[in-house]
Amino acid sequence: MAAPFTLRKIGVPPNSANLTEARRRVFDFFRAACRSIPTVMDIYNLQDVVAPSQLRFAISAQIRNNAHVTDPKVIDLLLFKGMEELTDIVDHAKQRHHIIGQYVVGEGLVQNTGSKDQGKSDFLKNFYTSNYF
Amino acid sequence: MGVGILASRAIRPASRLLRSQHSNLILRTIVSKPELQSPEAAAVSQPEPPKNQILPPRNPVGGARVHFSNPEDAIEVFVDGYAVKVPKGFTVLQACEVAGVDIPRFCYHSRLSIAGNCRMCLVEVEKSPKPVASCAMPALPGMKIKTDTPIAKKAREGVMEFLLMNHPLDCPICDQGGECDLQDQSMAFGSDRGRFTEMKRSVVDKNLGPLVKTVMTRCIQCTRCVRFASEVAGVQDLGMLGRGSGEEIGTYVEKLMTSELSGNVIDICPVGALTSKPFAFKARNWELKGTETIDVSDAVGSNIRVDSRGPEVMRIIPRLNEDINEEWISDKTRFSYDGLKRQRLSDPMIRDSDGRFKAVSWRDALAVVGDIIHQVKSDEIVGIAGQLSDAESMMVLKDFVNRMGSDNVWCEGTAVGVDADLRSSYLMNTSISGLENADVFLLVGTQPRVEAAMVNARICKTVRASNAKVAYIGPPADFNYDCKHLGTGPDTLKEIAEGRHPFCSTLKNAKNPAIIVGAGLFNRTDKDAVLSAVESIAQANNVVRPDWNGLNYLLLYAAQAAALDLGLIQQSAKALESAKFVYLMGADDVDVGKIPKDAFVVYQGHHGDKAVYRANVILPASAFTEKEGTYENTEGFTQQTVPAVPTVGDARDDWKIVRALSEVSGVNLPYNSIEGVRSRIKNVAPNLVHTDEREPAAFGPSLKPECKETMSTTPFKPVVENFYMTNAITRASKIMAQCSAVLLKK
Repeated sequence: MAAPFTLRKIGVPPNSANLTEARRRVFDFFRAACRSIPTVMDIYNLQDVVAPSQLRFAISAQIRNNAHVTDPKVIDLLLFKGMEELTDIVDHAKQRHHIIGQYVVGEGLVQNTGSKDQGKSDFLKNFYTSNYF
Repeated sequence: MGVGILASRAIRPASRLLRSQHSNLILRTIVSKPELQSPEAAAVSQPEPPKNQILPPRNPVGGARVHFSNPEDAIEVFVDGYAVKVPKGFTVLQACEVAGVDIPRFCYHSRLSIAGNCRMCLVEVEKSPKPVASCAMPALPGMKIKTDTPIAKKAREGVMEFLLMNHPLDCPICDQGGECDLQDQSMAFGSDRGRFTEMKRSVVDKNLGPLVKTVMTRCIQCTRCVRFASEVAGVQDLGMLGRGSGEEIGTYVEKLMTSELSGNVIDICPVGALTSKPFAFKARNWELKGTETIDVSDAVGSNIRVDSRGPEVMRIIPRLNEDINEEWISDKTRFSYDGLKRQRLSDPMIRDSDGRFKAVSWRDALAVVGDIIHQVKSDEIVGIAGQLSDAESMMVLKDFVNRMGSDNVWCEGTAVGVDADLRSSYLMNTSISGLENADVFLLVGTQPRVEAAMVNARICKTVRASNAKVAYIGPPADFNYDCKHLGTGPDTLKEIAEGRHPFCSTLKNAKNPAIIVGAGLFNRTDKDAVLSAVESIAQANNVVRPDWNGLNYLLLYAAQAAALDLGLIQQSAKALESAKFVYLMGADDVDVGKIPKDAFVVYQGHHGDKAVYRANVILPASAFTEKEGTYENTEGFTQQTVPAVPTVGDARDDWKIVRALSEVSGVNLPYNSIEGVRSRIKNVAPNLVHTDEREPAAFGPSLKPECKETMSTTPFKPVVENFYMTNAITRASKIMAQCSAVLLKK
């Protein structure tokens, strides 16, 4: 087996000069995150709960969420936040229920209950949430 | 200060010992000048203001408008050098108000008679040997009034000192703190120190009932409450006993204040002698948020201000509205707010197979109702709006029921056969303020004292001001003004219509006769005959003219006028008995026994009152303090409530529930916001969209067809049995329960 990947603490990198460099940084971050997946599964005992491919999908979905951003400085900041989150997870600063709740997409979890309200109008959705809309 | 230092230097002993001790202190002796000794000397030494000074323009106090009933009779007076034109009968205080100067007062109230016993309103008038009581002195032409001279200021300080001499040091425990006239005026006009060193007198408290708390030691004997009770409320309960410092306000006999306007003495009392018993020690006025809204306990629509602290309503205070309720509200309006905290429905519930209610989510509740409504035939669907429903929810309910194919949607209180074609047949056509111009009143089948207390107050005011004559046909009742009891039933009405009754001559000779018919008559089987008799009386005595329409109908519930405007009328008498799906939108006065046993009943409301026990599904709605709704009062004046507190639990607004239910049932109503509902209402009854405007009826009763039925002989029955318990909120209120146990006349 290849040597386990270690996340080295890099200091605050200088701002990316242009979009290409920011893009390169995004892919580097994605690679670093995917390489830490086995460690994460080991730390939090997620072997029976989720497959690595699902975690990869979750990470890429979060990155794709911000795919519309074009400003390199904003991308840098988002990467900084992402790196911070990744470091927290790898350092065991989070707990199992955080990982399952935030990154595991499955039955009965928050991300999946949107299907009930699919065909309904905005009025009905707002009505079910609260009285003030 | 300079003079004082020099003087002290002169009298300081010039010895070295003492100088060393006193060198680091500056001795200040008190030096007096002749101007400071007496107000007359101060007045003499003041410099004269330069003549022909251009003074800034002044507005009347509080943005008031002055009405000149006879423009040639205007007088000119000078207030602090400023010339104002006032009508002839004005007092000096009123003239100063027009000039923008607010004179302090305790006993004067603009709606009560003048007493002139507090002496706080003293102002200086040129060429007068002593200051005059401005509330009592009529303004004469060319009078020069000065309100800020040393004499006037000294007078105010003196009066304040006298008032505070016997006044207890109760500010920390007094409910009036923060809104007390005595506190405010002593800060503004009083002197900083008093000279009273004796014992203060104390007075024993009187028991005026469960609503008014009395601490008579704090009373300053202004007699506002005495004048209010005898003039506005019409009951001579209160009086002043004794003389001098032993004067006490009380009822002398151990009598409770049973008048329905008794809560207004709480507003009127300038000090904390008469305060609200339910509100005692609950909150201070600066922590309350006031929301200006409308009351729905009766059809008058009194303007109120709801004071709330967080999610709780703490008290209800009247707002000024000259046309409807002036400055007064009835006890039911004022004290039923604690019913808003008890027995509230907060979650949707479905009745289980074992008969008990189970709380469910909105999705499930609406899905169940939507399923059931499709399993019944269209004409078996019935919708009943309650007495506290607002116009928006009634519009959405009517639209929904009509789109489901049924025509059976009505508001409770309207029996079969009431037609809403002519607005003049169910509104108070002389407006409430127009009743002041009437000189003869005929009350048919109505007791305004318990049905609409503010209308009764207006009749009382008219009787007192212009000696109007009042006669009534109906069950014998207590009135707080002189009135004649003509009879108890339709027989008397027939006699008057045919001209055989002695009262007919009074009616014929009246310049502005007013007939007030109670809405309780709408429920009679011989309603058409009775109303056509009333109309023939109106025609015979010239009651309905182009300039004066004296034929009035007094509605009972806040929702009735809007319901009749929107067309929520009962078409068939057997609709309820043959219904399979009944939608009760806050309808508690429905006879639950008439609903068949196998009907599916949905109750949408805010209190678990009578009809909830029969319901199969409960949908919680918001009360009038929590929603923005349009209400029309009995004279056709449209007003809007404003939400003061958030809704309880999972409740929603009424119209939103019906709109969501319609969507779940597959019926698509063409609006999904309140503006959409209002534009729909504009198509049906545009006067309901013009808030704060009164829309008078367009056509008189002459368009109605002739009626051929005969009147029955059953006498008129009282509609309101218990004044304090008429709707869901008042029935849930503890204060109202106490009142009805103690204050009702047996």
